[in-house]
Amino acid sequence: MGSKVRTLEKNKVRTLPAGMLILGLTGIGAAQTPIHEPFPDYTPPRTLHGTPDISGIWQSFTTANWNILSHSVQPGPFAEITGAWGAGRAGLGIVEGDELPYQDWAAAEQQRNYENRAVINVTNDPSRFDTGDPELQCFRAGVPRANYMPYPFQIFQTPGQVLIVYEYKGAYRTIYMDDERPAYDQSWVGTSNGRWEGNTLVVDVEGFNEHTWFDREGNFASDALRVTERWTPVSPYHMRYEATIEDPNVFTRPWNIGFMLYRQVEAHARLHEFQCIPIVEPLMYRPLGFYDEDVSNN
Amino acid sequence: MKVGTRLFIALAAALAAFTANPQSPPPSALINQESEETVEAARAASPHTSESTYAYFREEAEAFIDEATQRIWDPNAPREPAPRTAWGDPDLTGYWLNVAYVPLERPVELTDKPLYTEEEAITAFVHWATQDASVDPATVHYDWTEFGMDNWQSPIRPNLRTSLIVDPPNGRVPPLTPEGQVRLEQQARRHTLESRGLYERCIQGNQGPPRVPFLQNTGQSQIVQTPEAVILITQANSDVRILHLGGSPHSPQSVRSWLGDSRARWEGDTLVVETTNFHSGRKWDGSAGELHLEERLTRVAQDTLLYEATMTDSSTWEAPWSIEVPWPMMDPPGLFEFACHEQNYGIINVLRGARVRAAEYEAAQREASGTE
Repeated sequence: MGSKVRTLEKNKVRTLPAGMLILGLTGIGAAQTPIHEPFPDYTPPRTLHGTPDISGIWQSFTTANWNILSHSVQPGPFAEITGAWGAGRAGLGIVEGDELPYQDWAAAEQQRNYENRAVINVTNDPSRFDTGDPELQCFRAGVPRANYMPYPFQIFQTPGQVLIVYEYKGAYRTIYMDDERPAYDQSWVGTSNGRWEGNTLVVDVEGFNEHTWFDREGNFASDALRVTERWTPVSPYHMRYEATIEDPNVFTRPWNIGFMLYRQVEAHARLHEFQCIPIVEPLMYRPLGFYDEDVSNN
Repeated sequence: MKVGTRLFIALAAALAAFTANPQSPPPSALINQESEETVEAARAASPHTSESTYAYFREEAEAFIDEATQRIWDPNAPREPAPRTAWGDPDLTGYWLNVAYVPLERPVELTDKPLYTEEEAITAFVHWATQDASVDPATVHYDWTEFGMDNWQSPIRPNLRTSLIVDPPNGRVPPLTPEGQVRLEQQARRHTLESRGLYERCIQGNQGPPRVPFLQNTGQSQIVQTPEAVILITQANSDVRILHLGGSPHSPQSVRSWLGDSRARWEGDTLVVETTNFHSGRKWDGSAGELHLEERLTRVAQDTLLYEATMTDSSTWEAPWSIEVPWPMMDPPGLFEFACHEQNYGIINVLRGARVRAAEYEAAQREASGTE
């Protein structure tokens, strides 16, 4: 099925080939919608068990980890120390409509998150979890954030499962393809169940805990979060990632994100280990006195 | 030991002690010295005994022992050919359990006896399983038995081996070099965060590499396989190791990691994995960044994966040493997320306790030397 688009040529309506879909051509300055790129029809190779093959090392190039909405350049925390190293690039958002439909209370909560995003307040009291951005302390990034952090991840496919291993923290997700697995409990990466719809891997993710942040800006979700992902290879080296976010506790309606994933093609491409716990230990535990020489100061 | 070596050890240990916090108390000072008395008092006060608690699990334990003793692991028994993946490699996939009652090191009285008879193996197994199924009345946290996580509540089987170590022939870890001895002492847990274990800090689980079983049933793992790689996932700490096939070289020595850099190849039915490039801060039994690890995985039966590992580090041990552990296939449902570092209460409590003890030790030292 083609789609009809009025082009710049006068009075000519051209039918575009199936598979080319252009959204949001509303002119400069309109709210940015994820724009689907003009790839020709693509049939991906198949795995030995007959599904599209999306295995390999992938990475996104958005700045969404700083802010999933459009944003300017920003200094990082403690810019007087970190200078240009710590600064964030400007970027267009990955959110369709470039706005988040927060409920009133949640908009205020996001602002509070932003102001406290670099606050670390580690505790051994299980009734408290007052910390800032989970990423700062080397906590798991969850879904969908791990897919647009500036680190690669590797996809492995077997007949019954899709395994995604993220370089960040060596975190991993298992997407169950064969048998439907209910979420056994709350977790940082949720419980994922997937199926193929044509060339698109559709994944339902739920069973999250209450600590999900979407970015460093403090955009967040509750434990009612459900994410529906759509992974579609569009060329041998590109894969489109789309997701619908639902959280009736936080937002007034579902909302969508979309961005492109790029395959790493160097012959030596590999995931490295990003073990950030030793890096964040002083940050987390110095306030508790664990780096003081005077042992009576506990 | 030569005089020169003794002198070296003494000087090195003194240097190590000096360059650490000069007031750092010895690890023994950080243990609750009253713990043995406390435990005895708790046992005396409890209406239960180990025997009476075993009664709760007797039926389950005896049924398990009956079944397991029909399937003794004999390392010299003929092996079944491995099933194959769709692309023809030996199939190692599935969920496997790294678990053993056999001790790592052979008891001294069994030095020349690497294998039990079947009867002896069963006797030892019944003893361990029964002890495991009993609950010490002094237990204050929880007992693994209640959660189905004792070793005997898994598909573990009796094993003819008297130790997991199969080389050197005496079944014991080779002697440490002087450098290894110093490093082992430096790696003792003290009251600083960096001195604590990697699992306590959630940097790495207790499943290696290499994968030496622990007493409790914490050895759950999953193997995922593609033509390009074998991926080993462990439940403990949700650690993931990608074992690269395809002949690519190790990363340069300037790129180090806590789980090491693994390159794998097939030798017949066996996956041989070489792991190097360990982070220099990775403490493992006296070794650090120079450990060279060779592991071997073989599907010896439908329900058993054989794990072998050889540890080589001439800066730490006088000779390489090897272990062999049969892994039974695990029952479903598989693995769960293990978010260890995401609010690690344990390290906070452990450090606070250790620092209390260290302060008490320092106060006692000052009082003893009359400087207070």
